[in-house]
Amino acid sequence: MDNAIQKILIIGGGPTEIGHETELDAACVQVIQAFKKQGIRPLLIDNNPFSSALESVQPTNMFIQAVTADNVQRIIEKEHPDAILPTVGGVLAISVIQELQENGVLADNNVQTLGIPGNAIMDINNPDRLNSVLKHVGVPIIASETVGTLDEAVNVAASIGYPVIVKPIAPRIDTNRILCESEAELISAVTRGFSWSRFKQCVIEQSIVGYKEVELVSVRDAMGTQVLIAGLENIDPIGIHSGDSMVVTPTLTLSNAEYQELRDTAFAINNQFNFTGVVHTHFALQTNPENFYVTKVTPYNDRGTSLAACATGYPIAYVAANLYLNQRLTEVRLPDIYHFKQTALLEPSLDHVVVRIPIWPFEDVPNADQHLGTVMKSVGSTIGIGRSTEEAILKAIRSSQFSPKDELPSMSDLSDSQIISQLIHPRSSRILVLLEALRRGYQVDELTELTKIDPFYFVILQHILDVRENVQSHPLDPLALKQGRYYGFGDGMIARMWQVDIDTVRSIGRGNNILPTYKGIEPSAGELLKSPTGYYSTFEFENESEQLSDHTVLVLGRGGNQLGPNASADYFTAEMLKQLHKSGYETVIMNTNPNAGSLTSMLTDKQIIDPVQLGDIMNVINMEHPVRIFVPGNRHFLTRELRRRKFPVSVLPPDQEGRSELLTDHATIGLDLFVTEHHVVPILASDLRSDEGIATTLAQITLMRAPASVNPQQLSQLLDHANEYLASHKRTGMVQLLYTTNGSQPPVFVGVRPTRLTTIAFLNKVTGINWVRMLVRQALGEIDEDLIAKLDIDIRSDRRSQMRGTFPFKQLQLPDQLGLTTQEVGARISFGTLDPEPDE
Amino acid sequence: MAQRFLILEDGSAYPGIGFGAGATTTGEVVFNTSMLGYQEIVTNQIYHNQIIVFSQPIIGSIGISHDSYESILPTAKGMVVRDVTDISKNRQRSLSLDQFLKQHNIPGISGIDTRHLIRQLQQTGTIKGSIVDVADDHAFDQLHATVLTNQQVAQVATPRPYPNPNQGYNVVVIDFGLKHGILRQLSKRDCNVTVLPWDATAQDVINLDPDGVLLSTGPGSPLDLPESVLDMIRTIEERIPLFAIGLGHELFALANGSEVKKLKLAHHGANHPIRTIITNEIIYATEGQEYVVDPDSVDRDRLITTYVDLVDGSIQGLRHRDYPAFSVQFFPDGAPGPNDSVDLFDEFMETMGTRE
Amino acid sequence: MAKVVVDAMAMQRALTRITYEIIEHNKGIDGLVILGIKTRGIYLAQRIADRLKQLENATVPVGELDVTRYRDDIEHDAIENDPKVTVSKIDFPVTDKKVILVDDVLYTGRTIRAAMSAIMDLGRPKQINLAVLVDRGHRELPIRADFVGKNIPSSQHERIKVSVSEIDGHDSVEIIER
Repeated sequence: MDNAIQKILIIGGGPTEIGHETELDAACVQVIQAFKKQGIRPLLIDNNPFSSALESVQPTNMFIQAVTADNVQRIIEKEHPDAILPTVGGVLAISVIQELQENGVLADNNVQTLGIPGNAIMDINNPDRLNSVLKHVGVPIIASETVGTLDEAVNVAASIGYPVIVKPIAPRIDTNRILCESEAELISAVTRGFSWSRFKQCVIEQSIVGYKEVELVSVRDAMGTQVLIAGLENIDPIGIHSGDSMVVTPTLTLSNAEYQELRDTAFAINNQFNFTGVVHTHFALQTNPENFYVTKVTPYNDRGTSLAACATGYPIAYVAANLYLNQRLTEVRLPDIYHFKQTALLEPSLDHVVVRIPIWPFEDVPNADQHLGTVMKSVGSTIGIGRSTEEAILKAIRSSQFSPKDELPSMSDLSDSQIISQLIHPRSSRILVLLEALRRGYQVDELTELTKIDPFYFVILQHILDVRENVQSHPLDPLALKQGRYYGFGDGMIARMWQVDIDTVRSIGRGNNILPTYKGIEPSAGELLKSPTGYYSTFEFENESEQLSDHTVLVLGRGGNQLGPNASADYFTAEMLKQLHKSGYETVIMNTNPNAGSLTSMLTDKQIIDPVQLGDIMNVINMEHPVRIFVPGNRHFLTRELRRRKFPVSVLPPDQEGRSELLTDHATIGLDLFVTEHHVVPILASDLRSDEGIATTLAQITLMRAPASVNPQQLSQLLDHANEYLASHKRTGMVQLLYTTNGSQPPVFVGVRPTRLTTIAFLNKVTGINWVRMLVRQALGEIDEDLIAKLDIDIRSDRRSQMRGTFPFKQLQLPDQLGLTTQEVGARISFGTLDPEPDE
Repeated sequence: MAQRFLILEDGSAYPGIGFGAGATTTGEVVFNTSMLGYQEIVTNQIYHNQIIVFSQPIIGSIGISHDSYESILPTAKGMVVRDVTDISKNRQRSLSLDQFLKQHNIPGISGIDTRHLIRQLQQTGTIKGSIVDVADDHAFDQLHATVLTNQQVAQVATPRPYPNPNQGYNVVVIDFGLKHGILRQLSKRDCNVTVLPWDATAQDVINLDPDGVLLSTGPGSPLDLPESVLDMIRTIEERIPLFAIGLGHELFALANGSEVKKLKLAHHGANHPIRTIITNEIIYATEGQEYVVDPDSVDRDRLITTYVDLVDGSIQGLRHRDYPAFSVQFFPDGAPGPNDSVDLFDEFMETMGTRE
Repeated sequence: MAKVVVDAMAMQRALTRITYEIIEHNKGIDGLVILGIKTRGIYLAQRIADRLKQLENATVPVGELDVTRYRDDIEHDAIENDPKVTVSKIDFPVTDKKVILVDDVLYTGRTIRAAMSAIMDLGRPKQINLAVLVDRGHRELPIRADFVGKNIPSSQHERIKVSVSEIDGHDSVEIIER
């Protein structure tokens, strides 16, 4: 280990947005944990209110500031860290480090960059420079040229020949590539690209649309030892951003020779750049003639590395953290749950299949163009794990549809011409369209030609349809149930096909011994690691998972990320899990979001990656016999069904919709309170605003600012009213009372609603009290009323604080519009001097 | 397809769905944890008389390809998988795994809880099994009564010499059941290869005046081969640069006074880290072995240990102290598996280059 | 124009093979000492010693030889005034030892002759063997290497450039047209 390093500044990823959600923060938490274990003091800069990582560093090491070069520079000059870590902050962190390297701040302050050597930082984000390095390594590269003006762009594109791809150099956001079929498209793309590039430059390159996209995730230590963690195969071809593509791991349609060539290439590139830690390498493959290109090298944590970690059970971020400190892979010691001591050196071998399906925000942003292309539009994803491709695909689809009853939407309304159009110009929920096309009799060869998707996947989808047909035509038949479950159909889907209720389906299962068998998610394919903590279900012979304890709490995750309160919900869940442990419970989490911090193995005793649907939940309940089940507030159907079956259910994160009582839909002041049996604790009074000023509806309130614009007298009136109101309208938990003000008139009460999840996260940061844990204690009946009485909260504090929602409009290529709460993709917070509005 | 069974010597029976040939077969049941390359695996002659359990659950998804044969006439006794896809992707769209297995009379069985089976095999060790239509007493009686041959090498190695002409070094390959990956690597390096049968004598080899000799991979136990093979090795290693792989490595160890023992459980996979002792580098390579060199038996005045598996501590490479002769237990040609150690073939070329 | 003729992997392999050949030739490492000729020979010598240590778990002494003073093709006055010329660092006796002399490139043979003179001034070794990474031919003296990484027949118009990661940041041998 490098003893010279005592203090490391970690660059956070900033607010969640399209391109990165909770995976960066989840990785950051693991890195912090590993650093602390090595006796290192981690400092963290981030302004993401939903960051769990911020909860895991001491307040003095926490810098809640926007992730900008200026802010990072100030921290460096004040704190003098020995090193800086850019690998858990996405492209934002990379671009900040680039700037600090260019202006000499890192060198002047003797700060070492971990993971990515200085020259490599400059190369990886610049397609031109990357190409010249790749050429040196002997990797085939795509014809390309850098341009700085529109004229140049037009000339270069003409000489390469359309279609061409435009990539901004050193972009500020995760843009990837823009495909242009014509000069008009080129001009628009280059104009946009210039505005995204820190250097007002773009690269124009030959199009490889239609190639197969494959990604490899590897780790490397300073000695050059490398381990290939996983190969990720995009089911959709190049032309659809990998973040918008269905992805499968392990790769299923690559030959050994192809795969090994990619492995060798990735390793050679890692050696050339001298990366340490984790690297995610992107390739484009042409099958006939066999040929491949490297399209992107990302030597940091991202959604690909988190998928690889989730799929293999290999703790990538934790291992990488040790490698940043110049430990060798042979020396890395993992937490006790990895009882095979050389786990960090095992090349993961999987005996299951994982499919990731993206989640798009189009329901909440209906005016966005729903076509999928080279610019990412999805805001989250879910995975399905199975022992067959069919099972993994079906589980992933079931989780991605957010259907309360676990049924799949029908695409039978689409006309034939709509189907053709969507096959050629893909849109969200593409997999359902592919299934529908097969159902209508399109042939595999035809579909392969139209979509450039490997025929293997159509064979699989056809099989899913065949199984469906068989199940449907044999109602109540145990064999049909067995086949359906074996290939991943949910109880809800089967109940719908048979026109019966789910209990009927389940009782046939029980009566005929068609029972779930849980299989471990671990990197040795059953050879070395015997009792992992991660499981998924299938319907086979051996069940490996046993009841954890007689005091287990089952926590249901929210599934894939959507717009609205989702990023905060994952933060909420992670904090819940910490409190449950503290309260002495063993915990089981069920979730399907590979990026979720709540799913990392260090937070819970058992992780089950299965659809969070009634049938699957009951399976877990039958196994674990939990003493309490926490259901997220948005899952009304689940809550109802579980309660109906007399299970001990608590609703957390709290329901955001029910229990609001409103006189009007307009408010300017909010007062958040924590209410117990005997106490009412005022937490914060704040101004409620829209992104552009006064909010005319509650849905527009996406900005909170404290202190509230009320005079001391008005504040007293608010507090008096709140006490009075809550005395007569009994509620417990976190509530927000809403008011309007007019000059120095007493505030007018307009209603009450549950405190929003985003707000709770904000309140945690403002008060330094973890209200999530309070809510958990309350749900468990562990609230100490005496302690509550002694809570010291200065409601009259004049400390300035602000939380402001962020929106995905820019990435969705929409003009600026007024964002609604349901459209929030993330948020940013600031204290003291408020961040100026970013000039965008 | 019809229901079939995998039955094991310990009395257990696994129902599944048959694919490939409908034959009833018996063999040793071994498992492989490689994630790719089912075609290379099933055509590798080290699996002669064996039933292979695949931990990777999706098999058949790329059909059968002309460049993935490790032998033309595979002689494995079966494939046990969780899920098989019947797809053809070659230019004629005419050869799926299912069809290929039918042509070579190899049965497959799918729908097996292979993860369970693999965990089970770790308890039982390598065990005999059969793929049968009915798992009745008769089937078990047959299984118990079947005595597997110990003449595997003689059954799969070429009976007659054949050449693979080229312009480079003159290399003699002794075929104990060689995998094509070895020939592919020698071809890539322009070697003028002559493949000799496993029972070739030292004189047969010397007559061809080779620059180097390669002892190939192959099935079964090195202890079942006659002493004459070891004599041949001892004579050759003193005179001609020698490179030995797999079974060849085990024979090289035996010829130089070491002992080889049978593993409780055969190991087949590509995920174990292997330490290159001379440089301390970690590499990954496909291992496929039922036998292992006993480390306590290695005569350190004659042999140097060059590679060690960091998971099970097994010796993975040896080198003679006095002669340019070296061996590896793993498969440096990949096929399937990582290429991390493919430059052992370059080392062989360079060794030949320094001995005129 | 530079052409890489030995890449990093091949250089590693060459040193590995030379190491094994040294063991073969000397029936082990008893009485062995290694002397690297300045500058790159020293690093190559160290790498060979590291490899021997890995294999035999015993340390072989490594010394540094600066042969400038012994060369017959450089004016002695020039040497006296050149601050770059240092003394050799050999803190062990060579008498009765088997010396492995290590250099990066074997060319005219004059360096090796000078090295042998330098060694003889230090004592009387039992034997001297020569290991070189590259033998490029064009000998002017009757000298040959016992262990050769790679023979690179070259014309006298070409230059052979050896890079080692310890000082050059990477390992390679290149042919450069003059």
